[in-house]
Amino acid sequence: MVRFKIRRYDGKKSYWQSFEVPARRGMTVLEALYYIKENYDSSLAFRASCRMGICGSCAMKINDKPRLACETQVLTLGNTVKVEPLDNFKVIKDLITEFDGFFEKHKAVKPYLIRKDDNYAEPKELLQSPEELNEYYVFTLCIKCGACYSVCPAAATLDECLGPAAMTAAYRFCADSRDEGQKERYEIASSSNGVWRCHLAMECSEVCPKNVEPAKAVQLLRRKTAFSILKSLLRW
Amino acid sequence: MGVSGWFRFKGRSLFSWAFTFQRLTGVVLLIYLLAHLTYLSTLLDKTGATYESMIAITVSRQFLVFDILLVLCGVFHGVNGFRIILHEFGIAYEYRKPLLAIFTVIAVVVWLYASYIMYSLTGG
Ligand code: HEM
Ligand code: SF4
Ligand code: FES
Repeated sequence: MVRFKIRRYDGKKSYWQSFEVPARRGMTVLEALYYIKENYDSSLAFRASCRMGICGSCAMKINDKPRLACETQVLTLGNTVKVEPLDNFKVIKDLITEFDGFFEKHKAVKPYLIRKDDNYAEPKELLQSPEELNEYYVFTLCIKCGACYSVCPAAATLDECLGPAAMTAAYRFCADSRDEGQKERYEIASSSNGVWRCHLAMECSEVCPKNVEPAKAVQLLRRKTAFSILKSLLRW
Repeated sequence: MGVSGWFRFKGRSLFSWAFTFQRLTGVVLLIYLLAHLTYLSTLLDKTGATYESMIAITVSRQFLVFDILLVLCGVFHGVNGFRIILHEFGIAYEYRKPLLAIFTVIAVVVWLYASYIMYSLTGG
């Protein structure tokens, strides 16, 4: 039996509740949460979808660390497992946090290829070498789980702060050889909520379940925006 | 989350500790700078009597421990600050873990050496 201590919230008050779960080898925290929901308390609220580390729905704080519940083995965690919602997000109910703002920030950085020759009637193949792909490939692996944002000290004190995930998405497209929207994105990234808010705590890279290295992306984006501003100032 | 978000250690890596201590030591240095300027402004009293009386409190054996802590703040802030500046623009990102360890060791060694000198100078 493993004891699950869950931080719950019913819209008014926040409290801890414990459940005993018969853990077996191979059981994930997400499965344990489903076990609790099915056997003890059907009102327990949490978000999940793919159960295979792809959708990014199930990030939560497990034994003080943000992790994907579906990718975390219960038996690696000891006899007591503490489950809490992510920090830096508003809690809606139990383990469910408000993600609208997070996705809005994502949208704000225009995370899609911008081309001058966009023509859907006559689509054209855009070639790219493996080296060019490698420039940004690792940053495409982000599943928007919010783990990085939940540990970012800049996001802790500034709700509007773009945060590591959105800036990683911005860099991912700016570094894509097929993209022509750098200028627009640099402008967004160099706003007062962008790259200059990063204080290099670098915790985001430590917690990312996909090893996306958001801290690196933010700094590379900072480099790109800084040089682009410098260039425009010097009218290069 | 608020300012408490700058002081979260549970489940966090050493990078978060470094960030928090950079902030804390920065604030300590700022407070020290203000105290320092206050001290210097007492030199407006041309006889030097005010300055002498104030320095008599802080330049003393009893204050040595605070001086040593202040030096720790200064050394950590400076050494760790250079580490952060180095990483700016993603430089040496891949070496961030060994660099954190090396810079922390440098800070501690410099601090211990400085503390030893200060201790000797005050006749320890
Ligand atoms: C060797 C000299 C110094 C170096 C290399 C240095 C470097 C740094 C760096 C890199 C940061 C982090 C900035 C960030 O979080 O993005 C920082 C923060 C800070 N520093 Fe210094 N610093 C030095 C001296 C001082 C002094 C003398 C003071 C006090 C007057 C001071 C006050 C602060 C404060 C209050 C912060 C916190 C603000 C923040 O985290 O952004 N620093 N310093
Ligand atoms: S960068 Fe990593 S931690 Fe951040 S949202 Fe993407 S997958 Fe999650
Ligand atoms: S349920 Fe999709 S990532 Fe965990």
